[in-house]
Amino acid sequence: MWKAVKDREAGFLLPSSFATRIRSHRVASLDLSNHKEIVSPHNGAINSLQVDLTEARYLLSGSSDGSAAVYDIQHATDYERGLIAKHKSLFVVDKQHNHGHRYAISTAIWYPVDTGLFITGSFDHYIKVWDTNTTQVVMDFKMPGKVYRTAMSSIATTHMLIAAGSTDVQVRLCDIASGAFTHTLSGHRDGVMSLEWSTSSEWILVTGGCDGAIRFWDIRRAGCFRVLDQSRSQLGRRPPLAESTSKKDTTIIGLLCTTSCEGSVTGQSSSVKSMVSQRRIPLGNEMKQLRAHRKSQNLTRGPVVQRLHPGLSSSHNRATAHYGAVTGLRATGDGMYLLSSGSDSRLRLWDVDSGCNTLVNFEAMRLQPTKALQLAVTQDSSLVFVPCLATVKAYDVRSGMTFRTFRGHYELVNCCCLSSQDQELYTGSNDRQILVWSPASPVIAEVEEDGKGGWDSVADQDNWSD
Amino acid sequence: MGRESEAEAGTRAVARLIEKATNSTAGEVDPRLLKAIKSTVRSSSDEIHAAVDSLMDHMKKQHAQVRFLAVLIVDELFMRSKLFRSVLVVNLDQFLSLSIGFRRDLPLPPPSSIASHLRSKSIELLEKWNASFGIHYRQLRLGFNYLKNTLRYQFPNRLENATRLQQERQEREMRSKQILLDKFENLKDKFSSIQAEIQSTIDEIEECLEILSVKQEEFTPNLSTEDDEVEEFKSLTLQQIRLDSLKEGEKVKEDSDNKVIFDALRESLKLLISKHLSSVQEWISVLVRVDLTDNKFRDNALKEFIDIRNLIHSVRARCGQLGCFLDNPSDLKKDEDDDDLWEEGKIEHYMPATSSVPNSSVGNSADTATSSKGKDVALPDANKSSIGHVLSSTSERSRLLVEAPVVTWGPFLDNWGPNQDVLANHRGLELQAHWGRVDYDAVIPAEKIAELNFHRTVYKEEPVELPPCRAPLKKGGLCQRRDLRVCPFHGPIVARDDEGNPIDQNSQGDRETEKEYPTAATDLRSDSVDAHGTLNLGKEMVEKLGRQAVKNVRERERDMKSMKRAKLAKIREHNEDVLREAAIASTSYSEAFAEHPATSVRNGAEVKVKKPTLASMLKKKITAKDRLAQRLLNSRVTDSASRQLMQGEDSKYREAFPNQW
Repeated sequence: MWKAVKDREAGFLLPSSFATRIRSHRVASLDLSNHKEIVSPHNGAINSLQVDLTEARYLLSGSSDGSAAVYDIQHATDYERGLIAKHKSLFVVDKQHNHGHRYAISTAIWYPVDTGLFITGSFDHYIKVWDTNTTQVVMDFKMPGKVYRTAMSSIATTHMLIAAGSTDVQVRLCDIASGAFTHTLSGHRDGVMSLEWSTSSEWILVTGGCDGAIRFWDIRRAGCFRVLDQSRSQLGRRPPLAESTSKKDTTIIGLLCTTSCEGSVTGQSSSVKSMVSQRRIPLGNEMKQLRAHRKSQNLTRGPVVQRLHPGLSSSHNRATAHYGAVTGLRATGDGMYLLSSGSDSRLRLWDVDSGCNTLVNFEAMRLQPTKALQLAVTQDSSLVFVPCLATVKAYDVRSGMTFRTFRGHYELVNCCCLSSQDQELYTGSNDRQILVWSPASPVIAEVEEDGKGGWDSVADQDNWSD
Repeated sequence: MGRESEAEAGTRAVARLIEKATNSTAGEVDPRLLKAIKSTVRSSSDEIHAAVDSLMDHMKKQHAQVRFLAVLIVDELFMRSKLFRSVLVVNLDQFLSLSIGFRRDLPLPPPSSIASHLRSKSIELLEKWNASFGIHYRQLRLGFNYLKNTLRYQFPNRLENATRLQQERQEREMRSKQILLDKFENLKDKFSSIQAEIQSTIDEIEECLEILSVKQEEFTPNLSTEDDEVEEFKSLTLQQIRLDSLKEGEKVKEDSDNKVIFDALRESLKLLISKHLSSVQEWISVLVRVDLTDNKFRDNALKEFIDIRNLIHSVRARCGQLGCFLDNPSDLKKDEDDDDLWEEGKIEHYMPATSSVPNSSVGNSADTATSSKGKDVALPDANKSSIGHVLSSTSERSRLLVEAPVVTWGPFLDNWGPNQDVLANHRGLELQAHWGRVDYDAVIPAEKIAELNFHRTVYKEEPVELPPCRAPLKKGGLCQRRDLRVCPFHGPIVARDDEGNPIDQNSQGDRETEKEYPTAATDLRSDSVDAHGTLNLGKEMVEKLGRQAVKNVRERERDMKSMKRAKLAKIREHNEDVLREAAIASTSYSEAFAEHPATSVRNGAEVKVKKPTLASMLKKKITAKDRLAQRLLNSRVTDSASRQLMQGEDSKYREAFPNQW
């Protein structure tokens, strides 16, 4: 580590790669934190966890007992015996609340722009938008069925849409600005358990249904434009970006977003599609790079020629990504890949660009089949955290090898959430606990060593009497 | 390379030790093995890792006993080694599910009694671990919280209970201390008044005594000359009594003159003893127990009180000399007990062991009083008394003591020994008022006295220790039934060794032959059985003959019975054969079921006492219920039952609809 610091000082190491290195190092040393506890006020399973996107300070949790709570994960509310930081909830909204949900909250997310609002979806068919400061309901949407998941795009600048999947076959987009449903996306043949906005384009929504299909929607036009098919696969990954382009570009995310979208367009050589995507790129300065990039993509892409229309061919329309329901979806931070988990206990890595199964073999796992799962991916998309029954497993995204197994929960784990800022993992489970997994910190260990003399309690030392 | 193989050997050693320690049926780990494990594990951290792996492997075994012992070893190591803790804690949920069995799909393995024991022990241990190390291990806290708050397991709550008890005790002590202090303050105020009161009572008594002693001097009776006249009282005890009575005579007698004084004396003495003495005792105990910073007053007061108490005692003694006791002797006794009330000590149990030795003797030398019944009672103890003889050879006295008869106490003991006439009217009876002549010289002849003194006792049966049957049982162990002669399950009671095999094979064989040749065998048998009998030969003959007769009759009966039984068995066998054939004809596989009970019965008949093993703990015990179920639920019976039901229905139908038949 000190060598990296020195390299950084000397300028051998770019600031971004230095940060990445430190981050991955910290993520690799995640372990159950003994010094940070979240005191869960919930009396039911924790279904959803999210750290806010602006400050990375407030954790929002939704529970099966119809309550949602917010915790400050940076500042502890009190300390037990001077060492264990207890984070109590800042506030709880539950059934006692005038406008609280009547049944289990299945999803609770922050408004991506600030922490003034949060959105909860519940099995009582309602989606509610809450004002964080007054803890009052600002708006609610009545859905046709139990709400499984809601999602808001974290990169959206032009819309304020909540995508909601429910037991109903239609996915609805709720507009906070107007308080009405703007879209009704139909295509799935069963309820929709998982939703994910693309991390590269603010108009692209991915939905995974109980019918095993994963559909891509462009909200600016009718119908879904892609259905992932588990039998369509590509071996290996796309070639990495050319060294020159990645270095030149300061806004990596922007580049990746465009490349992925463009790539998909070019790969399928669809006229309609390409028109659409070109239309949606408003900034002319990226055009050059795109062109250059498209060329390289065309070289590697196999000649997958197929007719593409808003109404897809019926055979393609029936393709499935998983046997059984798709329980979880997560796009990697760069927007190039999509991870999906299914009730067939599989984790699949999809190339968003080509829509192919990358055939990464994730090692044996058993997943909860009946509940929507919340996966987590590290910022550099090298690791994915998957709730596997009562444990959480970390897999290497590229190789599919099990990197770590986190044991600590006593019942099925439903959700995990990685705080990108301080590389802490939060997991919620049916045993009503929210566990904090934090990187091993040498400072805390030192404090513990020092503190030993001061406590009356039994010091944690060897004690051989004979 | 060498180091690696060494480590390999070491890990194997730990695994082997754990294997050995968990392969036992005992309720706890062999302490020697445990010590060995500890010392091995202590040597290096590799060993600890190996121990954790091996213990977890053993925890997975489908046997509660193995898991229980493994949990005990885990506890030992957990409390000692930090590394062990940190390694074990990672898999704590698995460990807990294996030791407590909280997952419904992973219940604890049989045997169930040990499984429940395992569960309670593990819960207790988890609580202990959480109390001592919970702060360092989040996993421990999590597991504890989960079991306590989510699954609502009942934890024994040792720590809390202990602190609560401690607190209660402290409160009680504080309270009693406060009470003592209050009392002490009270005493401080009243000390002089108490003293004065007691002093006045004592003064009163003193005055009374003074008056009485003055009177005593006036008439001092002199009875010493009479001593010679009563020479006939030779018995020592009687002489003692006489002396006492003479002394008694010297005392001042209460009569009409000094009755008032005596009354006053008695009253004030009573006051002194019942009220003042007890209060003084109480104050003393308060003073002794009270805890003060300033001890000056306390010491003074204590000294004074002790003086007062001694004074009271001396006064009481003087009054006692004068013959003035309180009416209620229990009061007195209580007061005396009070003296050492607060010198705490254990009350020794009175052991009536000494009585056994004299009890065993048989007295017929000088004891005319002991009845012939007494002899019978004493007979079973003959061997005991012989032991007593061996002991007594050392000293004459102990020999005599052993021989001496033990008689219950009674008034006849008063003139034990002397074979003399007794004066009828020398009993201190007031005969003046009798009408008619009084013959002072009337004598009760010695024979009459002896007759009057004839000693009768109620016959008490000696508790006889019946030997247990001690025949080996199927389930292991020996039959503990105590019967006089014949155990209803195992036949006549014979001497057996520790395994339960009859010791004297000969006598048993004899008995077998005896059945065929009764007359020849009885001699031998009666000799062996009644070897210790002291009855004379003639009596023996009679008895033998009688026994013989009874036996013959019984034999005949038994023959008849066995014949009848054989006949019945034959019939039953025939019936079964017929039924089985019928069953075979109806279903092919029911045959196997019919065969089954017979074989199981044969197995059960074999008596085996095996050393308990882990596998034997798992075996289900065959209870009476099981046997019955096997009997009743096998296919033949159910078939026949259903057939009967069918027939019943048939006949009913026929009756109900006769025209359709």
